[in-house]
Formats: sequence, structure tokens, C-alpha cells
Amino acid sequence: MTSLQPTYEPSITFDFRDSLDSNRLKGLWKMMKDYRLSYMVATISLAFSALAKTFPYLLLRYFADDVLAQGKYIQNSLTTTAIWIGLGFIGLAALEGTFSFLSGRLAAYTAEGITRRLRDFLFDHIQRLSFSYHATTPTGDLIERVTSDVDALRRFFSEQAIGVGRIVLIFIINFIAILNLNAELAVVSVVVIPLILIVSVWFFKKVTKAYEEYQAQEAILSTTLQENLTGVRVVKAFARQDYEKSKFEKDNWGKYLKGKVLLFMHSMFWPLSDIVLGFQTLFGFVYGARMAINGEITLGTYIAYVGLVVWLIWPIRNLGRIIVSTSTGMVSYARLMDVVKQQREPLLDGQHQAQAPARGDLLFENVSFMYSDGKSDVLKNVSFHVKPGQAIALLGSTGSGKTSLVNLLPRFHEYTGGRILLDGVELKYYSREYLRKQIGIVEQEPFLFSRTIRENISYGVGRDVSQEEVERAAKAAAVHDVIMSFPDGYNTLVGEKGVTLSGGQKQRVAIARTLLKNPRILILDDSTSSVDTETEAEIRTALDELMKARTTFIIAHRIQSVMIADLILVLDKGEVIQKGTHTELVEDKDGMYRRIYEIQTKIDEELERELSSVN
Amino acid sequence: MSDELIELEEEEFTSQLTTPVLRRISGLLRPHWKWVVGFLLTIAMTSGLDAYFTYLNKQFIDQGIVLRDTARLLHLATIYGSFIFVQCVTVFTFIYLAGVLGERIQYDLRKALFNHLQDLSLSYYAQNAVGRLIARVTSDTGRVSDLLTWGIVDSTWALMNITSSTIFMTIINWRLALIVFTIIPVMVYIAIEFRKKILAEFRISRRANSKITGAFNENFQGVRVVKALGREDSNTREFQGLTTRMYNASYRAAWLAALFLPTVQIIAAIALGLIVGYGGMQIKIGLMTIGGIQAFVTYLMFMMWPIQDLARVYAEMQHSIASAERIFRLVDTPADVHDRSGAVEAKTLLGEIEFDHVDFYYEDRKPVLTDFTLKVNAGETIALVGPTGGGKSTIVNLLCRFYEPREGVIRINGHDYMDYKLESIHSKIGIVLQTPHLFSGTVRENIRYGRLDATDIEVEEAAKIAGAHDFIVTLEKGYEHNVGESGNLLSVGQKQLISLARAVLARPELFIMDEATSSVDTLTESLIQRGMEALMKGRTSFVIAHRLSTIRRANRILVIENGKIAEQGTHSELLQRRGHYYRLYTQQFRHQLEVQYGVSEELAGDDRSLVTADSIMLRREKPSEESVATD
Repeated sequence: MTSLQPTYEPSITFDFRDSLDSNRLKGLWKMMKDYRLSYMVATISLAFSALAKTFPYLLLRYFADDVLAQGKYIQNSLTTTAIWIGLGFIGLAALEGTFSFLSGRLAAYTAEGITRRLRDFLFDHIQRLSFSYHATTPTGDLIERVTSDVDALRRFFSEQAIGVGRIVLIFIINFIAILNLNAELAVVSVVVIPLILIVSVWFFKKVTKAYEEYQAQEAILSTTLQENLTGVRVVKAFARQDYEKSKFEKDNWGKYLKGKVLLFMHSMFWPLSDIVLGFQTLFGFVYGARMAINGEITLGTYIAYVGLVVWLIWPIRNLGRIIVSTSTGMVSYARLMDVVKQQREPLLDGQHQAQAPARGDLLFENVSFMYSDGKSDVLKNVSFHVKPGQAIALLGSTGSGKTSLVNLLPRFHEYTGGRILLDGVELKYYSREYLRKQIGIVEQEPFLFSRTIRENISYGVGRDVSQEEVERAAKAAAVHDVIMSFPDGYNTLVGEKGVTLSGGQKQRVAIARTLLKNPRILILDDSTSSVDTETEAEIRTALDELMKARTTFIIAHRIQSVMIADLILVLDKGEVIQKGTHTELVEDKDGMYRRIYEIQTKIDEELERELSSVN
Repeated sequence: MSDELIELEEEEFTSQLTTPVLRRISGLLRPHWKWVVGFLLTIAMTSGLDAYFTYLNKQFIDQGIVLRDTARLLHLATIYGSFIFVQCVTVFTFIYLAGVLGERIQYDLRKALFNHLQDLSLSYYAQNAVGRLIARVTSDTGRVSDLLTWGIVDSTWALMNITSSTIFMTIINWRLALIVFTIIPVMVYIAIEFRKKILAEFRISRRANSKITGAFNENFQGVRVVKALGREDSNTREFQGLTTRMYNASYRAAWLAALFLPTVQIIAAIALGLIVGYGGMQIKIGLMTIGGIQAFVTYLMFMMWPIQDLARVYAEMQHSIASAERIFRLVDTPADVHDRSGAVEAKTLLGEIEFDHVDFYYEDRKPVLTDFTLKVNAGETIALVGPTGGGKSTIVNLLCRFYEPREGVIRINGHDYMDYKLESIHSKIGIVLQTPHLFSGTVRENIRYGRLDATDIEVEEAAKIAGAHDFIVTLEKGYEHNVGESGNLLSVGQKQLISLARAVLARPELFIMDEATSSVDTLTESLIQRGMEALMKGRTSFVIAHRLSTIRRANRILVIENGKIAEQGTHSELLQRRGHYYRLYTQQFRHQLEVQYGVSEELAGDDRSLVTADSIMLRREKPSEESVATD
């Protein structure tokens, strides 16, 4: 899909929730939907290429027996016959090559295709999972799944499944070919195959374990290295270079020893399997040659046999390795399905299909909320009413429920008791998508993406935005001048590879982002406390601009920020303990608000005292 | 993730084989030359035997079957059988020798790199991201040792295989062998071109892959914003652009790889067709045998494997050499700060410390300190305050001689400190960093890092002085408790207490502390304060201070701005002056009380340093109970 396409519906071509299955193999099969045909053709091509591989030997047999021994020439000419046979070789190689290429290409098509749509699906799916899922799942774990596990599945389709198929097909076809040459010879040639298969599976299981230990030691070494390099000042300050050297030496040597063990296993397995398979081959050769001398088979048959039997025997020792490695694919399937089966947030569900922008009239009636673990109420019986365009401030200590309360508005969480009415309609009848379009949030520590500043500002607008609009928003958010001071202006990259913005700058970019989105309801996590006075004044101007004609929720920490609010809610342990305007609340001498207010005054006095004490 | 990007970037650099580099790379093998000779011989034998087996097979046909000579056949079989045993030994030997040698070279290189890194100065670390250095020690060494062992093994095997096959073919029929001679270079050339193309696509795909990981990561971390702004659909669309790029590159790489073998094979088949056709005609006149044709078929059919190996080694070689060059460059970097010739032991650091007209700039050449002069008396406690980037850390870095002045002199007890041995200075310094750094291991091991020969009792004594003992004994395994990677199983406050104990145990004469800005609970906070006090007693101390209590307790406060001392004096002197310090202090004081009374909230997260970057205020910290009580 190109970016020119006007639609905003991403094309997720396959819903991997359809591939959930308790039987992992069945699940993998379901995952292959749309690709089964190409994978099947890949397998069939594989068979054809294996078949084409056997024919040169049969051609050789014809040449030895019919042409040379019996003198049956094509057009009575040895030269013509020889030329035809030569052409036959080239033709067969071309056939084999074509089929082998076809099979390789189709297998890659399948594996890469499934991987791409799996990545697309996971990306889309995970961002649509509920808020609580994201809150409880560590990012690192998710990343691990969407990268390593996806890659393990890719390898399953591109290398392992097809690899097993290749070896098995080559074995079967060559076995049948030899069987047709001479049944006795065929049986004689495969006596050790079951043994070698069992031993190689056993060996590769062992070696996988040894390899894991080796990797674990490598990880230990990396940790030592990493800790040393990041703690270089500590190492130097305590003059511990020698100590560090000997610590690293120990881990480094340990890895060398582990590597030796691993190599010893390999250097035992390969020659031993070489002996067994070598003698199996030799046995077949001698057996066949005796048969040829005794006239039980023709010379041509023997020659064909010698060529074919190599393909029968030697690939088998790799089968063990591939079979063992398929187990990683299975494990990864299960790990991915853990994520795939999670419930999504239904963004569009909602009985009330509001078209027009909300007015912003919000009524809370005995709203309570608890998390799904159901331990305790986060909010209890919260009731209040905000009219369109009013500002409402939430005051309270950490854990008093301020953030939880505002999280109910965009339906990040669902309230568990009472009701919330937006413009007279209960919140849960609105679709989440509609609500989130109506609500703008400026967080205390806004998250910006590693894109350009322009893209960050226009991030929340579902349409193309002109440079002029972006600049207007940035100017209103008092951040335009800052942006212009960067060499790349609005094209400045934010984050790791670009500039590092200060907290105040980030906030103003976030305000510009919200201004451009132009929501009816605004949630401000009062941020001004985290910046210095000068920046605070600028942010305040920007915020005043933002709050104009919008219903605004302010999560406040300071009296100064709430004084202007039309309604102040003082929250404590999930309950509203005071409600009113600044003037009303200050009147209540025993109230918490009054206490906080007094503290502010007291602080000024204390500072005065502190200063005067030194004078 | 960004480490991977660094690696990808570096892999783009390829190097041509030049004599000095080649000599130096092969020099790595010199100490182990017996092993090299051993695996070279055995791999050559293994490969030669493979070709010989095919030749024996021809003899089976020509001398055994055609002549109906069973005795000869059995004799040949005996030879074949005994060579299977010989080959078994050679295979064992080369796998073991080459493999272990590879591990050994990697071990040698890593050791050399690590040891050299220990000696390099902080300036080197400032210029090279840790991820880069890690790549040097881990992946670069791996690539070089792979080239020197498996690269040599594979190419020796391949060359030997091709050589011995052609020798046997020449013995069988030199005219037909000529055909093979002409196609081998063609096959090798095509194989190398293929490999290069595949490798290039593969790089594109890896780059795309690392971008995909980045996109995942960002979308997970910013999921709240994504949801709030309803960006799901457009994010997925953008993401599909990335997966499409990755798909195109990996698909191309995969099908090129699928095309590669058939192409080489078909070229071989053309030669084969010529040989069978031409050879077939010669059979009647006795120049060729049927066994000979069979042998040619086998030789040619299996020739693609050595050619594939050669191509792979060749294509990857350039990158391995680039890795080697990077390793050599690191090893060749001299340490900026090192002992001067004739350096003497510093007997004590307790004495007058003097910065005499010191100029300093980092590698970017932007002046940090200009004409900086300061005299500190033995036992004084100096608090450094001021904005980020003002030069506080630089003063401390120079003091510790992590860096040396560009101009001017730093004197300890009247002697230029560059005349002292580094080790003798460092061993008398105790340092506690802003972000405490612990090492994997137990609590005890981490404290003992301060003085390696300390007894268990001394370790616990130090922990008690630092105020760490009480929390340590509440840990599940007490002093034997595992702190996790970089101490991450402990809280920041706990890590700080342990690093204080570590500094106490070192019995330093000069104590340096960069106060942490991250929040710790009040109890831990007061413990840290007490530990610091214990440490500062009777020592000269420099503290990059963020807490009011620390600042107030200092003998002298230096306000550092733009590499200069903007103001200095005691707390009350500075307040009376109503200048920089006054502004900093009142702002900080107000915030501290607000936090204390619960009307303002502690800032959380890592953005704290960013927040203050554009302001001139002090970082906000919770006050300790103790410091409030003394107000």
C-alpha cells in the first residue's frame, strides 16, 4: 500500500486470531492461509528437482548398458548418441535448476509473506489492546516476541519445514530409484539410516543444550563488559583496573572452555557419523560391484547406483539438526499466540453515533471505579457537573484518584459504578474513537516520537496539515521561536538521533499538538511546576490559549494553578472531599483546601524567616 | 537496538587487503602456528581424500567390475575402508583444531581489547559510545577469529578440493580436464557476484529490521499518546511501509540465494554435457573408460560446494578485515592520561589543593573552564552548585585526574599532580556518583570493591558507618544478597547507600560526591545524609550539591556558571549578596517545602535532567527529615 492511497483503513490482510489453535502444528497450518498453494507448489517443485537430479544417473546407465555394452546407437552413430546424451545432461540440469529455483523462490515468498503480514498484524493488534494490558506488560517482553519469535517463525517456514521436506523427498525419490534398479541393493543401502537418524537427533539435542550454555557464558561476559564500560569512572576512581582485568579474564576463559566442550562434541559427532555413513556407502559399493561382477546387475545399473546412493545417505545426518531446530518454531508460535489472543479495545463500538463535535457538558453521577483485580475502589461516588467551556481543577495528593478520574473520559478505563453523561448521553454509548477525537491530553511529561517536530505537532490530526497551520499552532503554544532556533527548523528530528528537547519545550510541542487537534475537552496534567519561572510564564500563556472555549480538566498541584478554575474538586483516597470555587473553598476553615492554601502562605513566611536569619 | 544500528553502520565500511593489515592479521596466528599447520594439513587431507574416494570408485568400475576381478575389488575396498578411518581422524583433528583455535583467538583479542580499554582515559569513553566499544569486543573479535579459522578452513578445503579433483581428472583424461579448467573461473566469478548481491540485500533487510524494532518499541512506549490521539490506523499504515521495505529486501535476498546454486550448477552441467558427449566418443577408441566418465560426473556435480564456499569467504572477508582494522585502531589508541616518566607516589592528598589558572575543553574544543583558579584547604567541604553544563563535573573530573588541564596547573600539597603516579592518586579518592554504579554480585562484593583486602568485619563496619547496614540485614540473604545486573534489583537509594559504604571502606583522603537527583524515600534520604557526613569528617570533600542541607553544611559554596566561579562564600554570605545563589536557593527552598507539605509533587522519571537543562535552577529534591528539623 502506498502513502498516496487516501483511505485510512490499514490493510491487514490476515487476522491471526483465526490461526489460534491448541495444536501448534494445526495453528501453523492455519497461519499459512493464502500461501498454502504456493507452499505446496514449492514442495512439488522440490520433488521434481529431486527427480531431475536422479535422471542423469539413469542416463549414464543407459549410456553404459545400451550404448556401450550393446552397441545400440541413435541413428547408428556413436557420435550422435554421445551428443544427445550430453544434451540430455544439460537439459536435466536446467530442469533441476528451474525447479529448485522455483521451490526456493516460492518458499521464500511464503515465509517472507507470512512474516510481513504477521508483523503488520502484531503492530496493529498490540496498539489496540487495552490500557491495562499495556500497563502490566513490560515493553521488553513484547519486543522480544515481535522480533525474535517472529523471526523464529520465519525460519520455520523458510528453512526448517522446507528443509525437512527437501531431505525427506530426496531420500524417498532416490530410494525408489534404487529400488527400481535393484530391490536387494536398495535395502542393503539403508540399514544404518534409522540408527544415524536417531543418533543425530539425540546429538543435536545435546549440542543445542551445550550451545545454550555457551551462549549463557557469552551473556555473562557481555554483562561484565557492559558493567565495566558503563562504570568506567568507578573502576578508575578505585584504581581497580587489575581487578577488572582478572574478572574479565575469568569470564573470558570460561567462555573459551565452554567453546572447547562444544567443539569437542562437534569434532566427535561429525567424524563418527562419517565413519558409519562412509562404511555404509562402501558396503553398498562393494555389494553392488560383487553383484555386477556376478552378472546380477549390469554395469550401468552399478554406475547409476553409485551416483544415487550418495544422495540417499549423506543428507540424513543433517535431518537431525533440522528436526531439533523446528521445536523453536513451535515454542515461538505459542509465545506469539499469547499476544494474539488478547482482547482488543473495540474502538468503534457505541450505540450513540454522534456526528457533531461534543459540546463538552459533563455530568458525573456517583461514579466509582476499580481495576479489574478488584482489590479496592480507586474512585468512590464521585459526582459533579461541568458546563461547556468551564475549567475544573482536581487537587489532591498522589494516589488520590485524579489521574484515574480523567482516564475515564476517553474510556481508557471503564467506570464500574454510577454514570458519566456527556451532553446528556451516557459515556459508554459513545464509541471510543469519537470520544478520543473530542478529548485532548497534555501530559506532565509528554511523549514525543522520533520524527520531525512538524510531524510531532501534526501527529494527532487525521488529515494533511499545511505548514502554516503547524506554525500557527506552534506560535500559539509559544514554541515557534525555539523551533526556528534549530538549524533544521520544523524538520528537526526529535529524540535519539536528533535534538534533545527540554521538559518545557516538549510540553509546548505537546500543547501545539493538542491545539492543532482542536478537541472540545481538554485534560491538562498541570505541568508548570516542573519548569523554571520564565518558561512557566510562557507555558501559562500557551495554556490560556489552549483552554479558550473548551471544557478543561486540570490536574493541579499548586493553588496558583487552580485559583482560576470554575470548579475545584479536592480529592482524597478516591473521594471528593471538597467542591467549589476558590473563594468558597478558602472560606471553609477546617477544609483541606484551606490547609493547603495556608501552607503556601507559610512557605513564603518560612523563606522570609530563613533569609532574614542570615542577615 | 541502537547498538545494532551502530554495528550496521560500521559494517558498511569494507577494507581492501593491504600488506601491513594482512601481516598484522596473520600475526595473530603466529603464536599458534602449530595449530594452524595442524588444521591446514588435516583439512587438506580431508579434502584430498574426498577426491580420492571418487577416484577409487572409478577403479572399482574399471579394474574391478569391467575386468571382473573380485580380488582387485576387495583390495580396493580395503584401501577405501582404511582411508575412511584416516579421514575420520583428519576430520576430527581439523574441526577441533580450527574450532578451538578460533575460540582461542577470540579469547586473545578480547583480552587484549579489554585490558587496553582499562588503561584508556575517560576522554576516549566520552568520544565512543559504550555500544560501539561492546561491538568492538564482541562482534568484531568474532568476525576476525572466524576469518582466521573457518574462513581459512573453508577456503583451504575448497581450493584443495578443486585442485585435487582437477589433478585426478587430469590423470583420468587431460583433454577433458581442460574443459573443466576453463569453466572453474567462470563459476567462481559468478558465485562471487551473486554473493555480493545477496549480502547487499541482506544488509538492507537488516537495516529495515532494526527500524521495525524501533517502531515497535516507540509505539509500545507511547501507546497512551497513540490511543489518545487515535493514531492507530495511520501508524499501522506507516509501519507497513517499513515491513514492505523489509519484505522486498529479504525476499530478493532469498530468491537470489535460490537462483545462485542452480546457476552455478547449470554451468557445470554444460561442461558435463561436453565431457560426456566428447568422452563418450572416446570410449570406443580406448582413450576414456566408463568409470572415468562416472568420475567426471561426480567431480563436476560436487564442484559447486567448494565454489560456493570460496565465494562466501571472499564476500565476507572484506568486512572481517574492516573489523580487524577497527580492533587494531582501538589497541593502538594511546591513553591520554598516563603516568609521566619519573612519576612518584603521592604520599597523601590531605593538604592544600590548588587549581592554578586552569583552562580546559573537551574534544569538541568548546572551552569549559577558562582561567579557573581555586584554593582548597585540607579538610574543607566544598559545595559546587549551578546550572547543568556550567562546569561542575569538569572540575571534579580534573580533580580526580580523569582528565588533565589543557593549560595551567593543579597542585596537591604544592606539587603539580601530574608528577604523581595515577594509581597513587586514585587509590586515595573516594567517589560516589550521581547514578550509583554497582556490579553484578553480592552486596558484600560490591562494598569490598572499595578495598579488596578488607575483612568481612571491616565491610560491615563500613556499611554501618554509611548507614547501609540496617537495610542490608533486612535483605533476604543479607550481605550475600545478589544485587542483580548493574545492581538493578535494588532501589536507587539502596544503591547509593552501598556505594557510600564502598567509598567509606576505601578510606579515602579526598571525597567526591555527585549528589543524586532521583527521589528516594525520606528514611533512606536521611541515612544517605548521615553517611555522607561520616565520610566528609576529616577529609577534603567536593560535593556537586542538590540538597539544601548539604549546601548549608559546606564550608564554602561555589556557584559555577559558564566555567567560572560566579559567586563563592558561605551560605549566609551568599544569601546576603542577593545574586545567583539567592535566586537558586529561594526557588529550591520553596519547592522543597511544597513537596514536604504534600502540596506539590515530586517529579518522577528520567526527564528531570532535561527539565533543568534550560533553566538555571537547582534540581528539586525531597528534604530529609533531619535537615528540616535543623531549620
